[in-house]
Amino acid sequence: MSGKFYYAEIIAPGAALFDYDNDGDLDVYLVQGHMLGTGKPLPGATLSVAQDLSPALRGRLFRNDLVVNADGTRTLRFTDVTEASGIQAAGYGMGVATGDFNNDGCVDLYLTNLGSNQLFRNNCDGTFTDVSRESGTAGAPESAVKAVQPWSVSASFFDFDRDGWLDLFVGHYLDYRIDANTPCFSPSGRPDYCSPNVYRPQLSRLYHNNRDGTFTDVTVTSGIARDFGPALGVVAADFNGDRWADLYVANDGQPNQLWINQHDGTFKNTGLLSGAAMNAHGKAKAGMGVDAGDFDNDGDEDLLVSNLKGEGGDLYVNDGSGLFEEQSERSGLGFASLAYTGFGAAWVDFDNDGWLDTLIVNGAVQTIEALRAANDPFPLGQTKLLFRNLGNGRFEDVTRRAGRVFQTLDVSRGAAFGDVDNDGDIDVLVANNNGNVRLLINNVGNRNHWIGLRLVGRPVNRDMLGARVGIVREDGPTLWRRARADGSYGSANDPRVLAGLGQSSKPVRVRVVWPGGATEEWGDVAIDRYTTLKEGSGNAK
Amino acid sequence: MHLRCALCIVHCAFLLVTLSSCERPPQATAPAKASVRPVTLPDLSRMETSVQEQLRGAYAALTEKIAKWAPPAELAQAYGTLGNLFLAAEYLDAAESCYLNAETLAPTDVRWPYYLGHMYRTRGELENAAQSFQRALALQPADVATLVWLATVNLDRGRPDAAEPLFTQALSLQPRSVAALVGLGLAALARRDYGRAADSLEQALAIDPRASMAQYPLALAYRGMGNMERAEAHLRQRGTVEIGPADPLMQELGGLLHSAVAYENSGVRALDGGDWTAAAGFFRKGIELAPDRASLHHRLGTALSLAGNTPGAVEQFQDAVRLSPTFAQPHYSLGVLLAAAGRSPEAIDQFSAAVRYDPRYVEAHLQLAGLLQRTGRPDLALPHYVDVITIDPRDVSAQFGYAMALVQLKRYDEARARLTESQTLHPERPEFAQALERLRLLDPNTARK
Repeated sequence: MSGKFYYAEIIAPGAALFDYDNDGDLDVYLVQGHMLGTGKPLPGATLSVAQDLSPALRGRLFRNDLVVNADGTRTLRFTDVTEASGIQAAGYGMGVATGDFNNDGCVDLYLTNLGSNQLFRNNCDGTFTDVSRESGTAGAPESAVKAVQPWSVSASFFDFDRDGWLDLFVGHYLDYRIDANTPCFSPSGRPDYCSPNVYRPQLSRLYHNNRDGTFTDVTVTSGIARDFGPALGVVAADFNGDRWADLYVANDGQPNQLWINQHDGTFKNTGLLSGAAMNAHGKAKAGMGVDAGDFDNDGDEDLLVSNLKGEGGDLYVNDGSGLFEEQSERSGLGFASLAYTGFGAAWVDFDNDGWLDTLIVNGAVQTIEALRAANDPFPLGQTKLLFRNLGNGRFEDVTRRAGRVFQTLDVSRGAAFGDVDNDGDIDVLVANNNGNVRLLINNVGNRNHWIGLRLVGRPVNRDMLGARVGIVREDGPTLWRRARADGSYGSANDPRVLAGLGQSSKPVRVRVVWPGGATEEWGDVAIDRYTTLKEGSGNAK
Repeated sequence: MHLRCALCIVHCAFLLVTLSSCERPPQATAPAKASVRPVTLPDLSRMETSVQEQLRGAYAALTEKIAKWAPPAELAQAYGTLGNLFLAAEYLDAAESCYLNAETLAPTDVRWPYYLGHMYRTRGELENAAQSFQRALALQPADVATLVWLATVNLDRGRPDAAEPLFTQALSLQPRSVAALVGLGLAALARRDYGRAADSLEQALAIDPRASMAQYPLALAYRGMGNMERAEAHLRQRGTVEIGPADPLMQELGGLLHSAVAYENSGVRALDGGDWTAAAGFFRKGIELAPDRASLHHRLGTALSLAGNTPGAVEQFQDAVRLSPTFAQPHYSLGVLLAAAGRSPEAIDQFSAAVRYDPRYVEAHLQLAGLLQRTGRPDLALPHYVDVITIDPRDVSAQFGYAMALVQLKRYDEARARLTESQTLHPERPEFAQALERLRLLDPNTARK
């Protein structure tokens, strides 16, 4: 923190959970920033630092050296492999997205920045190559308006034209320059961080994968340019059940967009009529984190959006056709999250009971007076929230029972969700602004039965982001889940599907709707372990 | 710097947390018999001097009353006055203590639970807000504002059943209350009673069409009834104006804080409400406190310009430029006034300055391009149109202006290509087809293509 209240300081960072070395466990990428402004050295930061962190202040890659002991217990250890990996994150980091854009079976890394973005191609040997420029995804302006740098936070790899190659959507945020930083003040005249409406939103970008390592910017021709706001959260999913990937974009203080895929390379924003653009009162909220998931087990993708303090988180319930009803208050989510500024958020069945719960990490964006009065040098800290799905459309706030870490004040931003210790439940990597990252290990979920699936394409073992999985159960409704890495806030998640089965140990059938539209089924898939399902190896339906 | 690289592994273990206490600085505390909370002044050092003086004054008055063993009503007033300042300055914790004390000391004074309700609502504590408004309502059962706020809090708590009778009661007291009608519509919408929701929201909009935020729930009500056409029609009319209940107590609070920011905020609200004179008044008060703040001069110039006082506006815009030469907006505003006065060269200078200091200033690029075109320099206009199209491809006027500048330069093929592309991107806009038709008549080569 520079002490100058530069707006960009409070927006980052995100984090990624991804298996870069294909050894079967999730590695970690942490997004980093540095001191903003010219000429101010790190010791001039408003927060004291215990050691000289300057050399480390760029994005870091940690290899997961998970050891599964003979008794089944896990020993987690991470090794910083940044230098060996060749990843040189050059910008002031904001977020990260993951996906195998070149179909070589190794997951690649896209870094969003305040400034140009970077795409790192995974060389499948533990190293990465910066292909930002040749890929055409850096997002740098090409015209006379280059004086303003791009700024993006969340991005999503998804295959919008069903050609088997991952395309890329990059949500852009605001026009902002450090050298033209607008000073903002609280009503008492005290300097504080601005609100986003002080700056103009930037046009988000959609890149089409040319299948040769390059992308074409199709923002205008796809129709995506028709509507844009200050985008912070992005998630791709099939919202209207037509088996084509759509996009949902959460904007900060402006209506959110629901881009419905028109099957011809174009999208149409149906956000307003769909009912998912803002709350039922007609007020656009400060959308930050976002996720899509079938929380009510009716077979369609419902939306979760985290918002600013005083607004409450939003739950938009899908009727299956892409029309939504806001049920934030009715569900109890909105009311219980009112006092928090939410960022990273996801649908996550933390207790593996077969119902998607939700976890939201929080941190204010303007000074919390009580913390400032207590001499907190960075008075934006808030606790996290965990809501348990009661299976009746309502949620119970179980934060206080979830462990001490949930009561810790952090300025949380990104959150990446995945089974870090491969024990059958979802853990959470929380990226904090000006604070230690926290890895929350779930000790609850694996008390129930579960099924873990990795969905890979053919001929290459690429994670098939966007594939929908139906877990057909004898003693309950079919659970529909999705292979995804996007969602949350500036973060990348475990692409594997992990579905809780509760107390039931009965065998399940698995139905997969691949991103290309085809459906296959597998019978008697083993539970309480991970299974890889390869496209083309099941029974076609 | 926003992250220190250290992975700390935390096990979720379902443990309860104990809260730690914190030390407090010296406090003003009323006599023990009154069972009031201690109230402290927060760190005032980074506040505007005028606000510091206000808070110190109110705190000193309170301390004096405590020292003199003032009667409870007087003491309550002193706590409440300080609480109001804290609430206006967004020091909510301090405001809470003050109001709780005021209510304890003067339990029949409706103001303190009422303000507490608003304070809790701002803090996102809806249970406390509802309880506070409930206490205020008990003291003043026929107050429409209290009824509406309590109902709104209930709605936000997911209790439309509890909200509805309160909105209905408010309407029985004030049948044309837009806030109550909108609230009733929202409660009905939450219960999926789409017909009733549409009725209430239509009534609200008939009384005050400015309440454009209500268009969105109205659209959702029609969507719920299956009438997509009407839903889309109302979506097109949606806006951001929300009409609250008449609320003298909160209005009083709005003008309480003597700070440039508070006056600027009040001025902006007045501008949004179309009250140019009131807006100018607020901005002038802000300038008295912060004479060097360029944004206040620019806003005052805008208010004066809207009120028809062009010379006054020019003076303020020039002051803003003098105070902050790289502040693009006053350059733009000066450009607009100069262009309207027919002083094109000077206007071009100002617009050029605006885009120099803010290269993504769409409106300035458009004004500059238009003026360059009108003064016979379409070649110079082209790059500005390109900039706008790059920044915001939705901007139809830039696409059209670009094509027309090409026509002016007799670059008909390029103009035709541009118009055709724009027509494809914006099939709903007739001007591109019409321009293409005119171009066919104008250019024989185009006619043949």
